[in-house]
Amino acid sequence: MDAAAINLNEHSTEERMQLVSFILDKEEYGVEVLKVREIIRMPNITRVPNTPPYVEGVINLRGKVIPIISLRKRFNLDSAESDGRTRIMVMDMTNELTGFIVDSVAEVIRITSGEIQPAPPVVSGSVDQEYLSGVVNREDRLLVLLDLERLFSQEEQQLFTGKTASA
Amino acid sequence: MSSLCEDQELLDGFLTEATELLEKIDDDLITLEQSPCDMELLNRIFRSIHTVKGAASFLEFELLVKVTHRTEDVLNKLRRGEMVLNPGLMDVILEAVDLVKVLINDIKGDEIKERPIDGIIERLIAMQTEESGNATEISAVTTVIVTETTPLATPAPAPGDDQTASRNSAPRTSGEELTDKSTVRIDVKRVDDLMNQVGELVLERNRMIQLTSDYQNETNLAFFGEELAKLSKRMNFVTSELQMQVLKMRLIPVGNVFKKFPRIVRNLARDLGKQVDLQVFGEETELDRSVVDEISDPLIHLIRNAMDHGLETTEERVAAGKPATGVIMLAARHEGNRIIISIRDDGRGIDSDRVAAKALEKGLLTQEQLSGMSRREIFDLIFLPGFSTKEQASDLSGRGVGMDVVRTNIQKLNGIIDIKSVPGEGSEFTLTLPLTLAIIQSLLVAVEKETYSIPLSSVLETLRVKEENFHTIGGRKVLKLRDSVLPLLGLAAVFDVRTEKKRASYCYVVVVGVAEKRIGLVVSRLLGQQEVAIKSLGNYLGNVPGIAGSTIMGDGRVALIIDPSKLIDLDMNI
Repeated sequence: MDAAAINLNEHSTEERMQLVSFILDKEEYGVEVLKVREIIRMPNITRVPNTPPYVEGVINLRGKVIPIISLRKRFNLDSAESDGRTRIMVMDMTNELTGFIVDSVAEVIRITSGEIQPAPPVVSGSVDQEYLSGVVNREDRLLVLLDLERLFSQEEQQLFTGKTASA
Repeated sequence: MSSLCEDQELLDGFLTEATELLEKIDDDLITLEQSPCDMELLNRIFRSIHTVKGAASFLEFELLVKVTHRTEDVLNKLRRGEMVLNPGLMDVILEAVDLVKVLINDIKGDEIKERPIDGIIERLIAMQTEESGNATEISAVTTVIVTETTPLATPAPAPGDDQTASRNSAPRTSGEELTDKSTVRIDVKRVDDLMNQVGELVLERNRMIQLTSDYQNETNLAFFGEELAKLSKRMNFVTSELQMQVLKMRLIPVGNVFKKFPRIVRNLARDLGKQVDLQVFGEETELDRSVVDEISDPLIHLIRNAMDHGLETTEERVAAGKPATGVIMLAARHEGNRIIISIRDDGRGIDSDRVAAKALEKGLLTQEQLSGMSRREIFDLIFLPGFSTKEQASDLSGRGVGMDVVRTNIQKLNGIIDIKSVPGEGSEFTLTLPLTLAIIQSLLVAVEKETYSIPLSSVLETLRVKEENFHTIGGRKVLKLRDSVLPLLGLAAVFDVRTEKKRASYCYVVVVGVAEKRIGLVVSRLLGQQEVAIKSLGNYLGNVPGIAGSTIMGDGRVALIIDPSKLIDLDMNI
C-alpha cells in the first residue's frame, strides 16, 4: 500500500518532487504535480442520473466531456456550498481526464522524497487509509499525500463501466 | 465449391462477418463457462452460430453448415436447460468453434487456391465422432444425425503441416480485414465538392477576421450587428453543407446489402418448393456504413421468415385463389432523416391466435398477461427469444432465434420495427432506421430544470396532456392513446430529478419506439429539435443506465442523450 512512499525512500534522499496542495475540510492534501492537467473554476455541471452520489456530473472541457467527482462526498466529509475559492482539479487518471472538486487549491510545493513518511494508522478522520501514500511533516503544517488513482478501485470501475476488470 | 467464387463480394462479406462473429464467440464462451446461468450470453453465442450457419447454408458450404448445425443443437439444448454445461462439453464446443474457424480460413485460402480441403474433412470427422461420443448419453437425436452425415465425408489423410499452416494464417488474415475496414472508397466528385465547401468556409473565416478587426478599430460600427448576423447565417449554411458532405462520404447504397438477397431467395425457394418472386425497390437509397453493417442480418432473417412462414405452398395458394407465385417486396426509401426498409409478402399473414397459443405453450407468458393484449402486441410476441411456431427445427428456421436477432440489431441502431398483417393477404415488416450514428437529430426536452436529448429516430410523436388524464393499471401509469394503451415512464422519477413543488398543469409525453416496443416518456417541456454530435461519457461513466452519451449544446453546457432501448430495459426491471 505504501509502495510509492517506500520506493521513494529507497532512492537517495536528494530526489525532488513537486506537489500541488489543496484544502479539503480544513486539512491540506497533496497530489503529484505531473498528474494535474489543469485547475479550473466551477463551471456548469450536468448531473448524471443513476450514478454514485460523489459523481457530481459531467462538464464540457473545451469540447471534451469529462466526469466530475466531489472529493468531499467521496471521503464522506460534510458537504459544503461551493464558493469563489472552490476549484476543479483536472487530473489524468490512466489516460482519462477526470475532474475533482476541492475547497481551494493552495500552492505548488517542492519536497524531497526523504520528507515523505509512511502514513500513521489514523492520520485523518475520514479519508480511507488506502488512498494515502504518505505524509509530509513540515514544522508549520502536515500535508497528506493522496493517490487518487486508487480512488477508482476495481469494484468501482466495474460499477461505472459494467465491465470486468480483466476486460 | 467452384460456383462460390462467382460472387466475390458475397463471399467476402460472409468471411468478414463470420470472422468477426467467431472472434466474439471465443470470449463469450469463456465468460459463459464462468457464469453458465447467463441466458443473455448464451443467446448471443447461439445467435452468432446461427448467423454463421445461415450464411454458410446459402453459400452452400456444406461442411460448415454441418458443423455449425451440430454446435447449434448442443447450444440449443443448453439454452432450453436440457443439458448442463460442464468443462468436457465446453471443450467440445470450443473445438467445434475452432473447427469452424479453420474451415472459414480454408474458404479464404480457397480464393487464392492454395489450400487443399481434404485435411478439413478428416478433422471434421474426428470432431463429429468425438462429439457423438459425448452426445450419446445426452441426446439420441443428435447421435443419429451425426452417424448419418459421417459417411458423406470422404476420409483422407491430413498432412500435419497443413493444419498448422492454416492455423498460423489466422492472425494474418484478420489483420488484413482490419485494414479493409479502415479504408473507404469515395467518389472523386464528392471529394471535389468537399474541397469547394472548405474553400467557402475559408472565405467566411476571412470575413470574420475582417469584421473583428473592424470592430476593434471601431470602423463601420454602425453596420457591425447587421454584418455579424449575415456572417453567422452564411457560416451556418456552409457548416451544415460541409457536415452533409462529410456524412455523404460515409454513406453507401443499401443495394450493397440487397444484392445478396436474390440468391438467398432463389436457394430458399428451391429448398422449400415454393415459387417466389422477389421485387426490390430503392436499392440506390444511401445510408451510413455502420448502419448497413448492422441491418444485413436482420433483413436475411426477415426474408427467410417471410418465405418460410409467410408464403403458403403453391397448392395452398392456388386453393386460396391466389397466383401460384408468391411475391416478396423489399423496399427502401428515405423519409426525412430516417431510412425506411420494408419487407412485404402476400402470404397467409400472421395468425395471432396461433402466436398467442404457442407463446402460452412455451411458457413465455401467462394467460393473464395475454388477455390484456391487443392484436399488435400479440404480433410482438414473435420477437421473444425462443419463440417459434414450428414444431421441428430445420436448417432454415424454427429455433426461435431469427426474430431475436432482428430485434437485437434494430434495437442497437435505435431503430423501430412495425408489423402489419392481414390474415390471408400477407404481412409487412417495416424497419425505421437512423441515417447515421455519429450525428443525430434529437429532440431536446426539459425534465424540471434539467435538459435531456432524445434521438429523434426513436420518437414517434409528442403529446401535450394533463396529468389527470393518466390512468393507473397494475400500479403503473398508462395513457390511453387512440385505440391502444401506452405505458408511461416519468423521466423525473427514473433520473431522480429534483422536482419543484409547484406543478405545471400540463406536461408532455414523448412517444418513443424501440424495435417493436412503444413507451411514453413524461417530460416537463419540449425545447425543440437540434442536430447533435454524440460524445461519449468516457470510461468511468460509460455504462450509466438509460444514457447513451452526451452532447455539447450551443451555450457550452453538456446535455445527456437518452438511450430509449436501455430505458425500456430499465423499465422492465422495475
